[in-house]
Amino acid sequence: MVSTTIPEVSAAAAVAGAPAPVKKSESMNLSFHYGSFRALKEISMPIYEKRVTALIGPSGCGKSTYLRCFNRMHDLYPGNRYEGRIMLYPDNTNLLDPDVDPIEVRMRISMVFQKPNPFPKSIYENVAYGLRVRGERKRALLDEKVEEALRNAALWDEVKNRLHELAFNLSGGQQQRLCIARALATDPEILLFDEPTSALDPIATASIEELIAELKQKITIFIVTHNMQQAARVSDYTAYMYLGELIEFDVTDKLFIKPANKQTEDYITGRFG
Amino acid sequence: MSHSEHLSKQYDQDLEGLRSRVLQMGGLVEAQILAAIDAFAGGNQGLVDRVVSGEAKVDEFEVTIDNDCGQIIVRRQPAASDLRLIMAISKTVTDLERIGDEAEKIARMSGQIHERGRMPLEQFAGVRHAAAAAVAMLRQGLDAFARLDAVEAAKVIREDRAIDSEFRSILRQLITFMMEDPRTISAAIEVLWVAKAVERIGDHAKNIAEHVIYIVRGTDVRHTAIEQIEREAIG
Amino acid sequence: MSEAARVQEIRAMIAAHKRWDFAFGVVGMLALMVGVLTFAALFVEMIINGAPRLSWEFFTHFPSRKPDQAGILSAWVGSTLVMLVTAATAVPLGVGAGVYLEEYAPRNWMTDLIEINVTNLAGVPSIVYGLLALRLFVYGFGLGQSILTAGLTLGLPILPVVIVATREAIRSIPAAIREGAYALGATKWQTTSDHILPYSLAGIMTGVIIGMARAIGETAPVITIGALTFIAFLPQTPLTGEPPAGLFDWVMSPFTVMPIQMFNWTSRPEAAFHQNAAAAGLVLVVMTLSMNALAIYIRYRLRKNIKW
Repeated sequence: MVSTTIPEVSAAAAVAGAPAPVKKSESMNLSFHYGSFRALKEISMPIYEKRVTALIGPSGCGKSTYLRCFNRMHDLYPGNRYEGRIMLYPDNTNLLDPDVDPIEVRMRISMVFQKPNPFPKSIYENVAYGLRVRGERKRALLDEKVEEALRNAALWDEVKNRLHELAFNLSGGQQQRLCIARALATDPEILLFDEPTSALDPIATASIEELIAELKQKITIFIVTHNMQQAARVSDYTAYMYLGELIEFDVTDKLFIKPANKQTEDYITGRFG
Repeated sequence: MSHSEHLSKQYDQDLEGLRSRVLQMGGLVEAQILAAIDAFAGGNQGLVDRVVSGEAKVDEFEVTIDNDCGQIIVRRQPAASDLRLIMAISKTVTDLERIGDEAEKIARMSGQIHERGRMPLEQFAGVRHAAAAAVAMLRQGLDAFARLDAVEAAKVIREDRAIDSEFRSILRQLITFMMEDPRTISAAIEVLWVAKAVERIGDHAKNIAEHVIYIVRGTDVRHTAIEQIEREAIG
Repeated sequence: MSEAARVQEIRAMIAAHKRWDFAFGVVGMLALMVGVLTFAALFVEMIINGAPRLSWEFFTHFPSRKPDQAGILSAWVGSTLVMLVTAATAVPLGVGAGVYLEEYAPRNWMTDLIEINVTNLAGVPSIVYGLLALRLFVYGFGLGQSILTAGLTLGLPILPVVIVATREAIRSIPAAIREGAYALGATKWQTTSDHILPYSLAGIMTGVIIGMARAIGETAPVITIGALTFIAFLPQTPLTGEPPAGLFDWVMSPFTVMPIQMFNWTSRPEAAFHQNAAAAGLVLVVMTLSMNALAIYIRYRLRKNIKW
């Protein structure tokens, strides 16, 4: 078991004048099994409110697996088993508790996927779907929330005159922003990103990163990325994982200039894949 | 510090080339100082000319190495220890170039002093002594860079004090000299420039040692007290 | 060797390979032509024989002992009504089973067993279905020799077709879409009804219509359950008669279908009846081709919005 440094960020370390970060969620000794294979090994890691936390690591290290525990996506497939807890604050709910309905978890925590996956419906219907699932039917309310979500995703101006066109007609970057709007429409407490720009070109990638920088003022963000520079650009905290274990967790600037752990150093300097 | 290899052999080769060019530049600059001090002591005009013309090569090194640093940043987006290495090399090269400038100044001043011919330079063994100490600092600093040895670098930083106090005593000596015989004032002032240049060489050598500690420990020890630096170097 | 010689060698090799390409193209084309020409010949022969016989009276007369007065009224009405019952049987059962197997059934040995057997059902000779239907529907349930029985019977062989079409259509939906729906907090039923079914509708409809196009031509099972060959009346018009049972009197009525009428006419010695059979065959082929065309059109319309 590798020791993990989990900095309780002191007031001195935090930016002068900025409020000390508050924990929104944290995993406690989280392990995960695919059948007999132990994919995650006792991970304990915080996620701070209204900050961006990034998770990096080589392919197969378990970062997407870890991310998908937060919205119980693994429940959709048979043969999976969780151990440990994921606490959500301030109500101290354990997201992995068998008594907690995964649907409830997914209504509080939204996800944006690696490849943009809009439904084959209109732009409006895509964004409104999360609300419809909650039983919302009033047209005026839906209109309002759809517009708000599209504005927050920096997409409103581009689509406001064609809300009833098919979502597939949008470009890749626009589709991904649509998926972000769809995830935002339900006012989630945490927004999960699973390698959101790996299928996009550099310009679309930059616009998504710009969007994330704006969104973090309103919402807590947890992003998995295999692009280290993206993690360095976009996040406040970075965690490095390897073979299912958490190797290091620290303030991003510190981790990329002077990592505490040699394994982290080796990974970010390209001394191994 | 990671000494294992990068996945890209080319990257390793590039960094190795960079390091060795820095050491070459350091060697050249060292030779420049030694030649300049010889010119100060012996008045050999040939030496003076050689140092002055050698300055161009030092400048060329600075430009090439800085350019290479830019290349590596663009291509490799270095992080952690690699990033610190590149940044430190860029600063080190600036310090080496300044040392080269100081050596050239020493040479030119020496030429002028010996032309005037009115200075009993044997009385200023202090200057040669300080210069020898400064060269030793530079050599030790470059050695610490080559071996990435923070403890060695901390020693270099401490030695700068000795050169500073040496400079102050040379200054007092020169003032006495000038007061005794006002006709020697112009020459004395030229000796003062030389002494000042040596003191500056010591400062730049100290800077290089501070960069080494930054590479190895990741801490910026500029403007820090020597006791704290030594603690930091040991780790 | 020199560049020029290398290039020569490559060119010679490509020329040789292309000869094989060409040869296979020729063989393939010949194979295609055999099938196409055979079908074309049959079709043309049927048109030549039967087209002159087509007239308004042909479609509106009942069969008769006099060939020139015989018509296919009862046959095509019967076929249409039987197809309605078949569709009403096979579609809900097939789609429901397909959705259950894909979305709800746990992955265990029992599900695997069911899956294997469903696919096997499609290969069972249709006369076997006829025998089963005779025992079960006609005698067991007492439904008699009626349109209802025929509809149920023909529903059996096309049930696996619908189930497989449903499953294939559902499987072609990318997992990303499904996960996207669940990630927004949808329940299984919400995901199925808002996404899975609408997006797989094209595939399902195609499977249904192709299955029906096959069923319309099935003769053996219908004969087995006792479709009559000489019917000079139509089943009770739907929805007339006293409610509630009277609304569906027609399903219990005796009937005939197109293939049986054709079979009946071909087994008569008079050449004129053979011409009638050809005309009826032409009508049947046109009906089948139209159903297939409808399937293609529906698929095209429903798939317009789908991009996977």
